Parts: sequence; structure tokens; C-alpha cells
Amino acid sequence: MKLIQILDENGKYKADDLADIKEQEIRKMYRLMILTRLWNDKAMSLQRQGRLGTLASVRGQEASNVGMALALQAGDWFVPAFREYGSLFTLGISMKNQYRYWGGDERGNYIPEDKRVLPTCITVGAHLCHAAGMAVAAKTRGEKSMILSSSGDGSTSQGDFHESLNLAGLWKLPVVFVIQNNHWAISVPVEKQTATKTLAEKAAAYAIDGLRVDGNDVFAVYKTVKERADIARNEFKPALIELVTYRMGDHTTADDATRYRKPDLLKTWEKRDPIERVKKYLMKELDWSEEKDKELVEECTKEVEQAVKEYENSDMPEPETMFDYMYNEMPWHLKEQLEEVKELTQAGGKK
Amino acid sequence: MYEKDFLKQLFHKIYTIRIFETECIKLYRQGLIRGYFHPYVGEEATAVGVCSALAEDDYIISTHRGHGHCIARGAQIDRMVAELLGKKTGYCSGLGGSMHIADVQAGNLGANGIVGGGIPIGVGAALGISIRKEKKVVAIFFSDGAANNGVFAESLNLAAIWNLPAIFLLENNHYAVSTPIEQSSRNQNLYERATGYGVHALAVDGNNVIEVFEQTKDARQMCIKGKGPVLIEAKTYRHGGHHVNDPGAYMPKDRLDYFKSKDPVTIAKKHLKEQGKMSESEIEKIEKEVETTMERAIDFAKESPELSFAEFNQMVMGY
Repeated sequence: MKLIQILDENGKYKADDLADIKEQEIRKMYRLMILTRLWNDKAMSLQRQGRLGTLASVRGQEASNVGMALALQAGDWFVPAFREYGSLFTLGISMKNQYRYWGGDERGNYIPEDKRVLPTCITVGAHLCHAAGMAVAAKTRGEKSMILSSSGDGSTSQGDFHESLNLAGLWKLPVVFVIQNNHWAISVPVEKQTATKTLAEKAAAYAIDGLRVDGNDVFAVYKTVKERADIARNEFKPALIELVTYRMGDHTTADDATRYRKPDLLKTWEKRDPIERVKKYLMKELDWSEEKDKELVEECTKEVEQAVKEYENSDMPEPETMFDYMYNEMPWHLKEQLEEVKELTQAGGKK
Repeated sequence: MYEKDFLKQLFHKIYTIRIFETECIKLYRQGLIRGYFHPYVGEEATAVGVCSALAEDDYIISTHRGHGHCIARGAQIDRMVAELLGKKTGYCSGLGGSMHIADVQAGNLGANGIVGGGIPIGVGAALGISIRKEKKVVAIFFSDGAANNGVFAESLNLAAIWNLPAIFLLENNHYAVSTPIEQSSRNQNLYERATGYGVHALAVDGNNVIEVFEQTKDARQMCIKGKGPVLIEAKTYRHGGHHVNDPGAYMPKDRLDYFKSKDPVTIAKKHLKEQGKMSESEIEKIEKEVETTMERAIDFAKESPELSFAEFNQMVMGY
């Protein structure tokens, strides 16, 4: 299957394909990718210092994250897994709240009313069913909107993937399933995940279109997802888009990839870095300089530092709040446990 | 060309399933069989074609519509009727009933009441074969409805990536209870789904026992050579509703008539006459023999005792 690419790792690009992406948008993409990487690297160091909970690093996948989210229109919905915070920033979810989320603060997962974004989904593949269901709702209500879900290569082996894509194909739903193929499901490499050569070809089983895109090329990601989002929204034709990218970090901070991944692999993918190639393009075509780049990084670093400050200065949630939001009417056994927690809290954690 | 004896064997099995089902439906109507009963009438050639291509130590996994699979695999019908009647002499001492007949010694790893529930069990058995490096295969029966369950995808994917000796036998009878296939899958050639898993797949006329036999034989060879798994979609049709209490009023008459005109019993009989050079009277003799065996099986089951309460407790609770 053909790999869709506009900008290669050397900064060489296909001018025709790039024609309808505005200069302003390109600068925005670059800024968002830098912001995502800085947020990510800061989060990693916070975690190592015990100032954050577990983190699933997005390093290496910034182009996939930012490109797909920028392709959405007002009214569309984004249904993420857990390695999409670059997309969340792009859609206006605060960096502070993402620190809170990964810091174990439930409030970090609250999405403002005006954002059409679902909370982070940890269960691999489960949210594809949500996306299909939301697409049924959008179509039934006659809304001009589409649903974009994002998940990893591991999710394609889940039954939920199969059931969701089957219904999307059958009922012609306004949904696009993006797979960020970062080559690893925790420690399982993609070649041990499925017998097919690509993930995009799985779409054939459901009579929907499958496309394969260089996931480290933000232009190709943006353009392809945008085209397919428009088709899904206007013509009710769902699609499966495989973004071929690479997880440069561990699965999470609870993992050590050096135990199962050869270092050579990382070197190959370092050369394909999603941010470097846009920088090369900017230098060549948009009057960019090392100086301007430094300024941008400094500006973004400040934003990240500000988010960290806000995160660390916010009060901790009360232990009782863990009982909220699960039941409309709390069952008796949880009421008992809640009382116990209250007593414990009052006694300063000692019984 | 096929040997007369072989064709006779195929017809014998197909006719046995037909008589077993039609006679047991009568017992059900008389209130002698309780619970659910999903007849295999109309689909007999698939089970017989598949099981005839298997070796003695291969395995099968059956479904809620599983009487045909058991008979094709060589189950004794007297013990099957007894199971349906809840008698001690049944395959599971009458505790399992219609949807849970198993005979592990004979390579029948069991039916399963959960739609699609048997598929991963079959993959597990195939993994066992692969680990022990045995020259065996597992034929996993399931239906079009099960193919829309996530567990189908998960099982097919693992079988593919691990090259397991599994034959996925998709019995496409065009209905999941009352939902027709065109309302549950955009692509109605379900075998084409195998592309998404890198699995070799094909479709076959599930009402033609010889065709099913030939394709299963090839699939078995592929599996034995380490080129498995294979998915075979057998296109067939129920002659009635989902279960005995479902009149199937939603099944269009012209379609039903079409499939009844391709009745597996008639087709097997034709093979026997044309290729086996068997006369009408010889065939009638086989039919009579099958009917007599069934009468005896029913008598045996009726006369058999139920488990005592103590035995029941011992088997279910262990004390």
C-alpha cells in the first residue's frame, strides 16, 4: 500500500500537495509540535523527580498528534486514547490540566463544556466503540459533524476495533479511525501484532477505505485527515488512516524499552524526526533562522513552566472525591466506604 | 470420482443428522426436551463435509447449533438423545443439554452456548497442537453472527500471527437469530474479512458435501504444512427459524424456497446415484436403517434414568 508523504526527512517536499496549506498554518503546526515536545520532556523530568504520576511519552509522535487535531472543524468530536496530548493542546485543552491528569488528579480529565473532546481513555481500543456510537448519534440527529478517534497499533487486535469498524462500514457513519502506528504495543512489536503487512489494509474487511500516511510528516497527516474528515462529514464515508510513526520513548514511565528494543532502531527513527524536517522546510522557504527558533523555544518553555507552576500550586483533591462521578445514586457498600474514608481523613490518615 | 462406500458414508451421516433433528423436534414439542433447541436442518452438508476431511485425532469446536457437528464427528445418537432428554446416559450425564455436548475423547472439544465463545477455545487448542508439534488441526465451527463479535477478530489475528493449524469454519446461514446478514455486514462475503488478518480464505457451497469436503481437505493440508490458518465460509441456510420456538416468519419465501431446492440431503443423494451408481431401493435401505437406529436411540433415552439428587450434587458441587 502506498505511503502518503508530502515532506520527507530532508525537508524536501511536494509543492503541489502543499499548495493548499497556508503559511500561517505551517507556523502554527511547528509551534504546537515544539510545545508538545517541551511539555513532554518536562513531564518526564517531573515524573523522575516524583512530582508526577505515570506518563506515556508522546515523543516522536508530535506530527501525528498535531496534524490530525488541526484537521478538525468546529462541531467535530475528538475521541483520544492516552498518547494524544499533543492533539489535546491543539484543540485547546490546557497544559496545566494534562499535568494534573498525569499527576493523578481526576480534575485534570475534565473537559470544558465548549470542547468537543472526550476524556483520555486508558482501556486499549474501548473508545473506538464510543466513536462509532457518537457517529450514529451525529448522523441520526442530522448534525454536520464527524468523529475522529485515535488509537495505537495494539488496538487493532482488540475485538472492539472489529466491531466498531464493521458497524461504521455497514451504517455509513461519519467517523474516521486514526491508528498511530508507533510500532509498539508496550513491548510487542507491530510485526508480532498482526500477520498483515500494513494496518490500513484491515479496512478491506469492512468495505471502508484504508489509507497509509507518513505519521512523522505533519503536512501529510493534516492534509489526509482533513480530506477524509470532510468526506466523512459530508458523504458519510468512514475511513481508517494508519499514521506510520515511532514511539521514541518507553511505553510509559513504568517501562524500560532498552530491555526489548535494539538501540539501532532508535537511530533510524531519530533521522525521521517530525520536528526537524519542518524546521528544515521553514529555514528553506519561510525565512526562518536559528535565532528565531531559539526565541520560539524560549517562549514555549515559559508557557510550559507556567503550566507546571499552576499544576504544582493547585490544591490536592480531597480523598472523598474519588467516590464522585461513578454513580448517580451511590450503592450502600460505597456509602460505607465513603464514611470510612471521611473518618480516616479526619483522623489524619490513622485509625 | 469417489468410492461408492465413501459417498454412502456421507449420505448416511447427512441423513442421520436430518432424522435426528426432525425426530428430536417432535420430542421437544411433546415437552420431553426442555430449554433451547437450535436445529441444524438445511446445513447438514457443512458439518459432514468438514468432519469427513478430518483425521481421527483432529479436534472440532462446535456451536449452539451443534447437533450436526457432533453426529458428523461420530457421536452416538442414543447418547445424544439421552443428553437432550437430561438423562444420566447422555454425553454430559444430562447436565449439559442441547448446547453443551462434548466428547473430548472423540476430539469433540464441545459446543458452546455463547455466540463466538468457541472460537478462542479452538485457537487455544491449535496453539497446544503447535507447541507440542503435533500433526493435527482444529476445525472451529461458528456462524455469521459470531463473525461480528470482537472475539472473532482477536482469534483470527492470533491464529494468523502464530501460524496455527486452525480451520475457521464460518457457517454463513445468513441469519443471526432474526438479523439478516445484509443488516450486519456491509461486505456480505465474510471470507473477504480474512484479508484484514493476512489469512488465506475462500467461500464454498455449504450445501454441497463434496465441495465442502474437498476444500476442507486442502485446508487441512495447508495447516499440517504450517501454512495455516485457513478460513472457509460455507454458504448455507436454515430451513426454519433460529430455534424451535421461532417460526422464522421474517425469512423471505423465495429465498427459503431457493435454498430448499438445494437441500443437502437431495444433493448427497444425487451424488450417490450418479457417482456411486446406487439404486433408489438401495438408498431407501440406508434411510430405513437410519430411521430404525433413531427409533432405538429414542427408546434408549426414554428408558434411561435421570441422575439422582446425590449424583447431581456430586457432579455439580463436588460433594
